[in-house]
Amino acid sequence: MTFEDWFRKDRLPHIFCAGCGNGTIINCTLAAVDQMDWKKEETVFVSGIGCSSRAPGYIMTDSLHTTHGRALAFATGVKMANRKLNVVVFTGDGDLAAIGGNHFIHACRRNIDMTVVCMNNQIYGMTGGQGSPTTPRGYLSTTTPYGSAEPAFDLCDLAIAAGANYVARWTSYHVKELEKAVLAGLQTPGLSFIEAMTQCPTNFGRRNKFRQVADQVEFLKKHSLLKVKRDRLLLENKEVPADMFVVGELVRRSRPAMGVSP
Amino acid sequence: MKLAIDETRCKGCNLCTKVCPYKIFREGKKPNRRGIVVPELDRPERCANCRLQKLYGRRLCGICELTCPDQAIHWVEEEPYEPHKVAIEY
Repeated sequence: MTFEDWFRKDRLPHIFCAGCGNGTIINCTLAAVDQMDWKKEETVFVSGIGCSSRAPGYIMTDSLHTTHGRALAFATGVKMANRKLNVVVFTGDGDLAAIGGNHFIHACRRNIDMTVVCMNNQIYGMTGGQGSPTTPRGYLSTTTPYGSAEPAFDLCDLAIAAGANYVARWTSYHVKELEKAVLAGLQTPGLSFIEAMTQCPTNFGRRNKFRQVADQVEFLKKHSLLKVKRDRLLLENKEVPADMFVVGELVRRSRPAMGVSP
Repeated sequence: MKLAIDETRCKGCNLCTKVCPYKIFREGKKPNRRGIVVPELDRPERCANCRLQKLYGRRLCGICELTCPDQAIHWVEEEPYEPHKVAIEY
């Protein structure tokens, strides 16, 4: 069985724009889910509202497409009602960081046994390109026409501080690493949070001088700093470049988890 | 095994041309009947997975299949006794 078998082939091709990274991240997540030998009847995909949250509609399992930002709240309910179910949550940055921020903090605090895959495209893609909490400083969007003036939200730091058991960040360029990270997240009891930086050619790239899809992927590749490299720079008292983001497995620990099936 | 691009799914983003380590995918030239310029294959017999998957019994590389956001790239089994091309890389 390959990850192709998890797709609802009658629903493909999906509605994502040409070059959207969400399809890549669905592929990686399903490839990891495929390696877990889970039954389709015992796997539930939950999502909120947004481009990324259309993902469960293309997957051949039970799925919940819920209200904006409340994907984690619904997923908590699913897990608490039946601990045998394996819950995977797809969310976007607007869903998780903006409107569902509080649910995210408390899901991390409770450490519920589920995997959260956040497709961070740094913008509200579906509604027309408004600036989201994760839009980096200086980048253009429809609501920040002179460049975003606010510092961006670091979701991985938030998850680490709130107490998630496994936190990793990769981009849509690092497909194999992302697959391994999701697999490690699925195997870890407790909440595992994987942030996948992805390109949004239609609403982010178009306004920010990434004319081709490949340009933004190249940007993500060049501006990702491996965690070991960051640690080495810190050890040598060198300056960590401010415009880069750290990728890699950021934390793995075993706090007591909730909802682990006996 | 041989590489195949599903023209009904491809949206022509050309990400595969960027990620393939062998540069097997090339930007296409002609739009198809849906108006999408589908990438074309440049000597696909060089693909590591096509050549060696049977021997190793597992998926090798597979970056293009994972990266393709539209799930358009996949491998198909060959017909029995289909002639093989051999490409040698220097």
